[in-house]
Amino acid sequence: MDVIAGLGQGFLVALDPINLLYCFIGVFIGTLVGVLPGIGPVSAMSLLLPVTLSGTPESGIIMMAGIYYGSMYGGSTTAVLVNIPGEAASVVTCIDGHEMAKRGRAGPALGIAALGSFVAGTFSIVALMLVAPMLAKVAVAFGPPEYFSLMVLGLSILSFLTQGSMAKALLMAAVGVVIGLIGLDQINAMPRLTFDRLELVDGIGLIPVVMGLFGVAEILTNIEQQIRRDIVQSRIGSLWPSKEDLKASAGPVARGTVLGFLLGILPGGGAVISSFASYAIEKKLSRTPERFGKGAIEGVAGPESANNAAAGGAFIPLMTLGIPPNVVMALLLGAFVIHGLQPGPLMMSQNPTIFWGIVASMYVGNIMLLVLNMPLIGMWVQVLKAPYKILFPLILMFCIVGVFASGNAVFDVFVMIGTGVLGYLMRKFGYEAAPLVLAFVLGPMLENNLRKSLILSEGTFDVFVVRPISLVCLLIAAALLIAPLLPALRKKREKVALDATD
Amino acid sequence: MMLRRAEFWGGLFWLAIGAFVAWQGWLLDLGTLREPGSGFVFFWLGLIIVAFATSIAIGGLRGEGPLLGDLWRGARWRNVLLVVLALIAFGFLFERLGFVLCSLALLLFLMTVVDPVRPVISIPVSLIGAVGVWYVLEKMLLVQLPKGTWIEDFIPF
Repeated sequence: MDVIAGLGQGFLVALDPINLLYCFIGVFIGTLVGVLPGIGPVSAMSLLLPVTLSGTPESGIIMMAGIYYGSMYGGSTTAVLVNIPGEAASVVTCIDGHEMAKRGRAGPALGIAALGSFVAGTFSIVALMLVAPMLAKVAVAFGPPEYFSLMVLGLSILSFLTQGSMAKALLMAAVGVVIGLIGLDQINAMPRLTFDRLELVDGIGLIPVVMGLFGVAEILTNIEQQIRRDIVQSRIGSLWPSKEDLKASAGPVARGTVLGFLLGILPGGGAVISSFASYAIEKKLSRTPERFGKGAIEGVAGPESANNAAAGGAFIPLMTLGIPPNVVMALLLGAFVIHGLQPGPLMMSQNPTIFWGIVASMYVGNIMLLVLNMPLIGMWVQVLKAPYKILFPLILMFCIVGVFASGNAVFDVFVMIGTGVLGYLMRKFGYEAAPLVLAFVLGPMLENNLRKSLILSEGTFDVFVVRPISLVCLLIAAALLIAPLLPALRKKREKVALDATD
Repeated sequence: MMLRRAEFWGGLFWLAIGAFVAWQGWLLDLGTLREPGSGFVFFWLGLIIVAFATSIAIGGLRGEGPLLGDLWRGARWRNVLLVVLALIAFGFLFERLGFVLCSLALLLFLMTVVDPVRPVISIPVSLIGAVGVWYVLEKMLLVQLPKGTWIEDFIPF
């Protein structure tokens, strides 16, 4: 009953004309950045974070959330039509989606991507609505040791699932925590690694770091290559999939939805991993796996559903525990904090309008996306035809403006340039930015909870193993960290990374 | 041959960073386990970075990973260099020349020198981009952008 009353209250917020407008702007921009290669939801959300200050907290957060799940929709358009993933979660969609397009079936590919996304998005919102209140009740019992162990688990999962070297991923996570701790010590206000610079006393901002590592680094990587776009020139045709297509896609959509939602909840998991996992499962379950890679609609339906369901699932740890499971949620946490709100177990009782408003706006946003994506595909194709040599200077300018506007400081622009160059070199040398950014956000919480736990336990580490939730988290984290050392598991992990790269 | 491996140099770079972080942590005060000090986490993280970096560098010495030169083979690295230099110049001139002039110059530079576009496109796109963003942010969203300390006496708005 609480859920229904809360949802009713949420719809009152979501259907407020100004919030509808913010939701529309969010999903529109989300689809646009999803469509455009070279700018993803992380960059767009960083860019628009300062803009949310001008409205109410719920309006700003509704818009930010819209950008996230909107980009999941938009990414599929680029993947199908251009064979370039608009954002990372659509990498798998390129494989069969673009093959379908080359065979004159771009319409059904885009149609099933939109339909699957809608089904998965709606399922994940319903599940979020039902699971979040239960988890919030459990989360009240969490103390510093549980929070610390959960964050260690999140970083371990992310490092384990990262492509390539796990040592590099863990190194990046450690560097991320260090960067996140620059500034005043939260416990005794001692300046740390500030080098007597006043700008560093408050720490390094999330937005310059994210814009540098993702936005600027992406541009630097792209401009050193000659980008060739293989846009499908034939007519897209009817978007509505045939009866056979729908029948073939029903199972993959259902499986992708559940899988995506569950992986989305896991700290460190998320849309990218779930789409790869869904593709692998569908290929394994198929009676004709040889069709995969040659235009199988199941290869589009499953991953697209999975990445959208994961986008919804990712809200759960943020809303109930206050822990962002991925970089995008870390930015959303930033938006909450800017507005003086702290997501966590008390969010639902202290700010019910905001919690339920966001949930209800996701229903509205999902419908908007379906309406937006189906008839506007032609427009998105035109956007895709804009040459990158015109797009990248504009994206770069937006990055600078977004970073400057977030803190009104040129110092932040230099931080963005520095992290941009670092991010570019990291890509060259095979170091991933995601563990660094997640650790950067979790760093202060991680340190705070570790030190509090040690103070509470009078200096013994027993406190982490005598509490069951903490123990389970640490055991799983330890298993993940040890796994790559075992030859059989290492081969399996390398194979997953290789499949993902292919 | 081993010293030309990217893994070796990457590992060495992070080794230096890790050692520096651990040293800073040591200087900051480690405290005790009962009451960890400000440098406690820094010190241990520094050592963790050193450990991982060492394993990566050793991998490089064993011949793992690509050669350093291969990372930039066939790449248009001049473009990367030009963009980075343009951004640094932008950072230094941003407050002095103001948002509109700086952005206009940056856009024109990128569309003329880095990846050339015909002037008939680059000039209007740069003008609309710089002035349009300024108008939306400054006039509609009331975000304050630098007017330019060198030129603010000469501008009427």
